[in-house]
Amino acid sequence: MNITPCSIKTLKGLYDISGVEVGQHFYWQIGGFQIHAQVLITSWFVITILLGSVIIAVRNPQTIPTDGQNFFEYVLEFIRDLSKTQIGEEYGPWVPFIGTMFLFIFVSNWSGALLPWKIIELPHGELAAPTNDINTTVALALLTSAAYFYAGLSKKGLSYFEKYIKPTPILLPINILEDFTKPLSLSFRLFGNILADELVVVVLVSLVPLVVPIPVMFLGLFTSGIQALIFATLAAAYIGESMEGHH
Amino acid sequence: MATAMMAASTTSCSPRRAAPVLKPVASSSSSSSSSSARPRRPLAQQLPRLLATAAAAVAAAPLPVLAEQMEKAQLFDFNLTLPAIATEFLLLMVALDKLYFTPLGKFMDERDAKIRGELGDVKDASEEVKQLEDQAAAIMKAARAEIAAALNKMKKETTAELEGKLEEGRSRVEAELVEALANLEAQKEEAVKALDAQIASLSDEIVKKVLPSA
Repeated sequence: MNITPCSIKTLKGLYDISGVEVGQHFYWQIGGFQIHAQVLITSWFVITILLGSVIIAVRNPQTIPTDGQNFFEYVLEFIRDLSKTQIGEEYGPWVPFIGTMFLFIFVSNWSGALLPWKIIELPHGELAAPTNDINTTVALALLTSAAYFYAGLSKKGLSYFEKYIKPTPILLPINILEDFTKPLSLSFRLFGNILADELVVVVLVSLVPLVVPIPVMFLGLFTSGIQALIFATLAAAYIGESMEGHH
Repeated sequence: MATAMMAASTTSCSPRRAAPVLKPVASSSSSSSSSSARPRRPLAQQLPRLLATAAAAVAAAPLPVLAEQMEKAQLFDFNLTLPAIATEFLLLMVALDKLYFTPLGKFMDERDAKIRGELGDVKDASEEVKQLEDQAAAIMKAARAEIAAALNKMKKETTAELEGKLEEGRSRVEAELVEALANLEAQKEEAVKALDAQIASLSDEIVKKVLPSA
């Protein structure tokens, strides 16, 4: 007798947890500007996780690495390898940028997929992965653009702009257009993938709260990792492309 | 589609928020029904007014709330978040560089160089060991040759000495033999001489005895 209402209550609770609010934001007002507080809060959380784990694991490096240090050494080698493949021999100075890009996006995506943000209730909107917000992805994409312009200009000086009329001046418009499509595609790819992933999970959870969404959740984890990798790889590839010389 | 989902989500997932939205509608409808309960005016006259009140109530109370929510439901809402995240990212990059990439990278490179160096040393050491082994083998060979030479020499010396002694012994023995033989010969001759003398005397005596003294 008691079971039915109880289970309905549980289900309702699950539905409440699984609900999604697309495009709803929790606004803070800072000096006349609005800011998406939920993005900032989760990004602080992500940054805290990153810095905390790094400090704990790498504070006192051992010649024979401990488990945590071993993991971070593996990550660093992975990032170095990625940068080296894309940028070439002069990859050294770009490791922090590519690495931070990868780690920030990766931890953000996974925090959105793994952590039950819904438990923390906001007055408006909801906590989710920072990469769920177009502001974040555009910020990262614009930083990437700035990075590859800086890389090209610092390597070749003003002759960097010669690449716009190569191989022929006819391609000038397309080459200019590329500088706009690169950040656009970077930001929208990440934003769309993460948002779509969370939406799919949410919709499935709202239809069948148990078991069925689990494969999709795993798919989401996979997609999140792949997206972080793609973003970092493309950023490195753009930087490498603007640094490579035509001799 | 997104709008539909938004609307669905706002109603499905936040019933508590939807409740105040519904309340004004209920209150306005109750008030309009109470106004319709007034018997003095005819229905035809009342209806437009009623509708107008209801519409006004709906327009005044619930829709703005909904509309406000819908208005704020923006996917592409660029604001201060963008530079804030960019700044955060740059700060994170600097912090991670100081805490992670540079120190751990340097540490790993140093360890790599050290291991490489030690491996090189070990390789050198193995060469050294080989040299030492060769040297030891050479020394052993020399020693063996020396010993063999000494042994040979000693053998030769001993043989020579032995030969000498043997020769000496033999010569002595021969000499002694010769002397002994000579002695023997001399004695023999002496004995023969003595015998001769005795024979003569004996024969004289025999002659004397046999022959008359005449």
